[in-house]
Amino acid sequence: MELLAIFITAIFIKNFVLFYFLGICPFLGVSKKLDAAFSMGLAVTFVMTITAVVSWMINHWVLLPYNLEYLQIVSFILVIASLVQLVEMFIRKISPPLYQALGIYLPLITTNCAIMGLALLAALKNYNFIETVIFGVGSGIGFTLAIILMAGIREHLDLADVPGPLKGAGIALIVAGIMALAFSGFSGMIK
Amino acid sequence: MKLSQRMILVLTTVGLLSGCFLAGVGLLTEKPIQMNKQKEIREAIFEVVPQSNSTQKLLQEEELSVYAGMDKNNKIRGLAVKSEGVGFQDKITLMYGTDPSLTRIFSLTILEQSETPGLGAKITSEKEFLRFWQNKDCTQKLSLQKPPVSSPEKLSSSEVNTITGATISSRSVLNIVNQSLKEVKQLREKGKLLSGEPNAN
Amino acid sequence: MPTKPIGQEFLKGVWSENPIFRQLLGMCPTLAVTNAVVNGFAMGMATTFVLLFSSLVVSSIKNLIPKQVRIASYIVVIATFVTMADRFLQAFFPAISDNLGPYVPLIVVNCLILGRQEAFSSRNTVGRSLVDALGMSSGFVLGLLVLSSIREILGSGTFLGTQVMGDWFKPWTIMVLPPGAFITLGILLGLVILIEQKSKSRR
Repeated sequence: MELLAIFITAIFIKNFVLFYFLGICPFLGVSKKLDAAFSMGLAVTFVMTITAVVSWMINHWVLLPYNLEYLQIVSFILVIASLVQLVEMFIRKISPPLYQALGIYLPLITTNCAIMGLALLAALKNYNFIETVIFGVGSGIGFTLAIILMAGIREHLDLADVPGPLKGAGIALIVAGIMALAFSGFSGMIK
Repeated sequence: MKLSQRMILVLTTVGLLSGCFLAGVGLLTEKPIQMNKQKEIREAIFEVVPQSNSTQKLLQEEELSVYAGMDKNNKIRGLAVKSEGVGFQDKITLMYGTDPSLTRIFSLTILEQSETPGLGAKITSEKEFLRFWQNKDCTQKLSLQKPPVSSPEKLSSSEVNTITGATISSRSVLNIVNQSLKEVKQLREKGKLLSGEPNAN
Repeated sequence: MPTKPIGQEFLKGVWSENPIFRQLLGMCPTLAVTNAVVNGFAMGMATTFVLLFSSLVVSSIKNLIPKQVRIASYIVVIATFVTMADRFLQAFFPAISDNLGPYVPLIVVNCLILGRQEAFSSRNTVGRSLVDALGMSSGFVLGLLVLSSIREILGSGTFLGTQVMGDWFKPWTIMVLPPGAFITLGILLGLVILIEQKSKSRR
């Protein structure tokens, strides 16, 4: 597949949240305020891009050459966990303002299945290096788009009269369902 | 023992134990997993090339592989072409069988797809789609019949049917087949495909 | 720590602390693989396997692990069992493994599993941890089965692959697609809260 197709597919057609259901926890948890959602999206995009690069290197330089595919899950999860730690320390040193903005979201990302999902999906799809990076960036942007849209809707939802039992997670999931429906209109864009 | 030493010791032990354990699991499951993968391809080949029960890989390109399907006397009964391309949602991987001289498609099967269930996913259905792909003349480019017809007899030998409501999926399959046929024929002319003559052992 | 009777320890996972409907844990697999009952069931079993054995290991070695490296150790333990489950499915149930795709390896980041280790197994005896894990997995499997039954029956007109709806029924394809997953789970969450409210007000 061409690079543009991978990019567009990752953002719109196979959106991480709305198609793969990855990263649902932050999607529901951090989508109550628009600016928080935006920071979360940025942090995820950032970590996703780095994860894409590093997981590709591990997979292609270590696991595949030595036939160690059965260590994929263990090594990916450990790398992601330590990577997030490193990124956090790095940002704190280099750019305190950026750390202020992303800081509290970074630790949350370790257990975000979207990151692990990215590493696994890129390995599953046999992407080459460039494709993996594009896939990582695109997926991050797709996640950001979904969480921002969600936050925008939820800010308005606060004023709406939602039936009692559906308040909170229930209505959020239904809104996500309608968003997924809208996003499914994008499929077929790539030919 | 100091705390830091204990931390390192514990982590190393946990890591080593898990590594050894997984190496064992990896070794035990490797064979069956390999077999499963091969079995899937072999069964598809035997399905699209009639009377074949053994096979040999002739060619592997990035998005294209060609296998020979042979009967019990090792006579080549046909070629099985595996190819992939973009569908409505995602990649479609398919395989079709042709006679050894690449003039006729015996039949088609879909190996992997994630088209819309109930619409595009009908490309895997024998009744709705695949039976319209049997015995096609592939000396020329195949074309799409639209609006769809109800039975295979109503199609000419170089036409294939459309699924109602899933034109893009149907067309994607057609394009993948046309494109890969063109490539296989080119490769054969360049002499990269060592087959075509029956009785080749 | 006050100890509950063992039966209650089990039942809390099924209803009052149900991982899907109450704690909203493990949402990715819950939404992703419940388009058919057989997938939901396989995912439930794989998760049960991982949770049971992780709890067993974590609760038996809890005193040996320094506090600072506990999460890392738990993750390695969990990842080991997830790999086992994944390889096992690939080797002996290739069709199911294909259907579940990357969601089996993703059990490793299922917050339910790490959450139970951190909140329960690292503080309780082996026996209690196993009961807790069993309860939580039953709750999880139950949730997956309910969701996947609704989606498969309405979305394909079948249950475990056998036709259950008559010819008059035109499948609601949307139910097996992503939007159906979100909307069904949203409505189920509402229903659970409604039932809870009703039963409370009766008391």
